[in-house]
Amino acid sequence: MTKRLLMASIALAISGTAHAQAPAPDNLEKLSNFQSTGTTEFTLIEQGGDYAEGIKKTLERIKLPDGFKIGLYAVVPDARHIAVGPQGVVTFVGTRKDKVWSVTDRNKDRVADEVKDFAPSLRFAIPNGPCFSPDGMLYIAEQNRVLTFPAAEFFYESPDVAAFNVVKQGDLIPPSEESYNHTARVCKIGPDGKLYISLGQPFNVAPENKLELYRKHGIGGIIRINTDGSDREVYTYGVRNSVGHDFHPETGELWWTDNQVDGMGDDIPPGEINHQTAAGQHFGHPWYGGGDVRTNEYAGQEVPYDVVMPAVETVAHAADLGMTFYTGKMFPEKYRNAIFSAQHGSWNRTTPVGARVMVTFIDADGNAAIEPFAEGWIDENGEYLGRPVDVAQLRDGSIIVSDDLAGALYRIWYEGN
Amino acid sequence: MRIFRIVLLGGLLPAGTLFAQDATNLEDGRKVAGMCRTCHGLDGKARIPIAPHIGGEPVDYLISQLRAFKTGAREHEMMTVVASGLSDEQITKVATWFNHFTIEATLPTGKTEDDAPQLCVGCHGANGISELKDAPNLAGETNIYIETQLKAFRTGKRTHDIMSPIARDLTETEMQEASDWYSKITIAITDPTKK
Repeated sequence: MTKRLLMASIALAISGTAHAQAPAPDNLEKLSNFQSTGTTEFTLIEQGGDYAEGIKKTLERIKLPDGFKIGLYAVVPDARHIAVGPQGVVTFVGTRKDKVWSVTDRNKDRVADEVKDFAPSLRFAIPNGPCFSPDGMLYIAEQNRVLTFPAAEFFYESPDVAAFNVVKQGDLIPPSEESYNHTARVCKIGPDGKLYISLGQPFNVAPENKLELYRKHGIGGIIRINTDGSDREVYTYGVRNSVGHDFHPETGELWWTDNQVDGMGDDIPPGEINHQTAAGQHFGHPWYGGGDVRTNEYAGQEVPYDVVMPAVETVAHAADLGMTFYTGKMFPEKYRNAIFSAQHGSWNRTTPVGARVMVTFIDADGNAAIEPFAEGWIDENGEYLGRPVDVAQLRDGSIIVSDDLAGALYRIWYEGN
Repeated sequence: MRIFRIVLLGGLLPAGTLFAQDATNLEDGRKVAGMCRTCHGLDGKARIPIAPHIGGEPVDYLISQLRAFKTGAREHEMMTVVASGLSDEQITKVATWFNHFTIEATLPTGKTEDDAPQLCVGCHGANGISELKDAPNLAGETNIYIETQLKAFRTGKRTHDIMSPIARDLTETEMQEASDWYSKITIAITDPTKK
């Protein structure tokens, strides 16, 4: 009964949005009209058991600063970016496949009890990037679509959820430019209430004949739109493939990670964490391959834009992905407003680097310094035991880290000494 | 409930006789495969969804694709970087390494070979194990990987005498159905030299 009332009030609240947009295919259309799809079954992921024990064994070797602990929070297959529900009821986790997982810690022992697929009647395509607005609207950025789910923290218990297009299929980028890699979108709601979405460009180095098209659509950039999909603009230019961003809790400025050019050697170019201070700034790709290293493809060419250099250069090829500013009270004071970010780990460096959680401290002048926070996911044979993807903060001030190799969420908390 | 299990021994494929799988060749191939393992696994079982499983793949297909990445006929932001640095000999050896694995495919519970997409089975098998030297296994690949390849054939980013015309005429729904079928097949990859 409660659910029906809520459905009705949401229908009223957003009917303007729903009608303004083009009809969506198959089940999305039904869900947009609050109709049942007939889907009744969830895929439930077993928690515990031998698989979980294997992951726990790996976690025993993870090194953290004194007073911090790490534990298995949930088994979540292909876990990518994380959106923690603002009410603390449920956490959503994206994948680079066709599922979004909902993760619930019912008994509040800080270990998840239930992991099941979200909105199982919908066919997602690379739903890597979930994000929440403060008022509980869930957004999911896919390969070429953005959906919104009002009151997702309430409706996720049912297979049928209210779902609406923000950017309909085929409108995020021209379908001719779709690819699989560099297609892990991330999103966040900015202090301006707009939705910021990263759009990686699909090459190692973007070729000249694509630059005009990409600039127009914000491919190799970050776009921002109103939450009803209107007023799209390119906020960030000159990005290679950004898979993590967040807004500074005090300045409200956007900081984001970028993955840099491959094939130039083991030690160049550096990875990046960037600090954007105004709309429309250009960060150098494809003229720069990372930091101030020029790409071979554009060597010697005059750079046609004023380029902002990275705030932090990270170790080459470590693959800096998801990031979040820490605003909790659990960790010692020095971590307040610091960036926690995940390094996925290199894929073709002679000796692998990365596969760790980093912390970046920013001083009063905006200078940033990065150091390892949690590491040990590369074993003595150079084999990955896990590959961290994203970091998010729970309401108690602990953080959770996703890992798409192990298929898990870890929780890191502070106990003191 | 009927479960179909088909085992294909990569080493028995005709090409196997061209590139003898003696211990030295395999060892050399394994070394080259060090640069593949983060994504494809040292045994050819992919570790990330964007990468295909290549353990037990037909050796001719592996060689032709690595050469295509090397020459630029096929482009991928990672594979182009990797293949451009490989010699023909390295390509042959690494293809021999991944080919020497045994792949076993199991249909989902309740499905039979009759449920397979009929347009695909002639070359890729009902269970996603290739019937041809130049066709890849599709068993257990991520559905979005298969769809991405079909779209690449449709748009001309990839070209192939058989696949280009087939993909051109497929609807979105047909692409999704074929991709879903093969992605739901369970695979096991084993090393027959380690028994």
